[in-house]
Amino acid sequence: MSRRFLTAEDVRRAEGAELVVDAQTVVTPQAQEVAAARGITLRTSAGAWQPPAPDRGPDAPRRGEGLAGDHPYLDEPGDAAAGDSVVVTCVGRNRPGVLAEVTGAIAASGVNIDDISQKMIEDYFHMVLVLTMPPGLDFASFKQQLECLGAGDFVVRVMHEKVFRYMHRL
Amino acid sequence: MPFTDQEILETIRMVELETLDIRTTTLGISLLDCADSDLETTCEKVYTKITHHARDLVKTADGIASDYGVPIVNKRIAVTPVAWIAGPSGAEDLTPLALALDAAAKEVGVDFIGGFSAYVHKGFTRADQALFESIPHALSVTDHVCSSVSLGSTRAGINMNAVARFSELVLETAALTASTGGLGCAKLVCFCNVVEDNPFVAGAHVGIGEAETVLNVGVSGPGVVRSVLERLGPEADLGQVASIIKRTAFKITRMGELVGREAARRLGTTFGIVDISLAPTPAVGDSVSDILELLGVDRTGAPGTTAALALLTDAVKKGGVMASSSVGGLSGAFIPVSEDQGMIDAVRDGALSLAKLEAMTTVCSVGLDMVAVPGNTPVDVLTGIIADELAIGMVNQKTTAVRIIPVPGKGPGETVEWGGLLGTAIVQDPGRYGCRILHARGGRIPAPVQSFRN
Repeated sequence: MSRRFLTAEDVRRAEGAELVVDAQTVVTPQAQEVAAARGITLRTSAGAWQPPAPDRGPDAPRRGEGLAGDHPYLDEPGDAAAGDSVVVTCVGRNRPGVLAEVTGAIAASGVNIDDISQKMIEDYFHMVLVLTMPPGLDFASFKQQLECLGAGDFVVRVMHEKVFRYMHRL
Repeated sequence: MPFTDQEILETIRMVELETLDIRTTTLGISLLDCADSDLETTCEKVYTKITHHARDLVKTADGIASDYGVPIVNKRIAVTPVAWIAGPSGAEDLTPLALALDAAAKEVGVDFIGGFSAYVHKGFTRADQALFESIPHALSVTDHVCSSVSLGSTRAGINMNAVARFSELVLETAALTASTGGLGCAKLVCFCNVVEDNPFVAGAHVGIGEAETVLNVGVSGPGVVRSVLERLGPEADLGQVASIIKRTAFKITRMGELVGREAARRLGTTFGIVDISLAPTPAVGDSVSDILELLGVDRTGAPGTTAALALLTDAVKKGGVMASSSVGGLSGAFIPVSEDQGMIDAVRDGALSLAKLEAMTTVCSVGLDMVAVPGNTPVDVLTGIIADELAIGMVNQKTTAVRIIPVPGKGPGETVEWGGLLGTAIVQDPGRYGCRILHARGGRIPAPVQSFRN
């Protein structure tokens, strides 16, 4: 079992110009300061010491196997089968060019529209689009781009399809 | 289309108009490996461990909020009760540990950090004693640290020595934080049947059976429940009312489940529990009191309130339990007086008394929460209020808690503003009589016969 922490006190007690720690050891900021002040180099048996990734303990699901998709128990049945679908809703005052504006922005990002539904209630429209995100597209900036549309006439919201599936499907 | 327009619009409406949100994502971090024979070194390890594990918490939560379009209001940290790691140092003043927690919370940018805590439901260790004595000062010199203590349980009974000392600490904390209306006491809570995976402050901490790190989520949504009841109208019978609350709680909990799993995945940690408590905020409409009035009582606190609250709490639990296999924490309905505009109004109008509030806590999820009393309330009166509340929990095998604030310089009926999520309170009258002898007796109320279940 390797040492969990290296503290300032440990560094003060150390002798020599080098201190060998385990790769998983967490070195406190105070210890790093003392080491720097005394010219002591921290290293592991493999090389220079780097702050380790947060260690989640033996309970952590298969540490180091990457993140998304690798923890089967985190997924519900159906999570894996579903792609990266996104639901876009627009609500607002109708005027010429609304549909073109929204779909134009979607097309410009290279995103495919799977389904559109649109209804008018008096002068107001509401529109729901289901899209599939191509791999590699930055969701945050795509979302921001769409939600900036409307110019006061209509409001766009972009939400991941999972939200709706979790809420409305068993 | 995989969903109907109606389903999609229902979700959008919940978020946009009905203040559905994820109330808190709380990262639990075990500090058991930080114990050291030197308190300063313990603090060093505590600070390092928390900042190490929680460095991405706020960023991750904000990222999920943006991706899924659901606000995540608070990001918090819960840690092992620090009395458990302070023992080896033999220190008598644990304020440095509180300062280390506070500094770590500021470094990673969370709202609160819970775990300046001890379990003393049967007795004190030396470290527990040190923690108790440090509470008033620690809470007055830190901004984000929350303190909780376990004073009783169904299995152990109630440690009345600890209750009496806790009452004194409440008064001392209020006096030390008098300039902010006794705000220190809003970060101090005592429990009977304490919950070890509670993500909500002030009671958040990480119990002894928890993993190295664990992510717990608290969902909320009184606004959503309120508006479905509004649409249901007064004609529906109580079976229909329960059923629609259940279905709504199901949907809200599903959102919590999704966010909890996703946050745990992105942080690479274990998903702990979803706490499905209906937690109000001072925002208009985000009120448990409004729900009770929609259920059919004239004002919250009127006869019928406890029955209505029982129905609400039960329906929320039933919907939530179906929605997630990881329901935990306190899960029910919170009734923090100062944080719920409807409750504040009910107190102001004389509809909701302290006695009725106590009755309501027998069927809600927690207990007397964010109750303001006069700053000159005698200590034995506080002991009595706390002991009564803990006795309810002990006998009914449920969690009860007391977070009571004696507001310095204020008398019954006066208003105190704490601001933010903590809200506004009307100081309530605890009555003329106390329990001096009960306070002075000391000792332990033995575990009730209900506890002998083996």
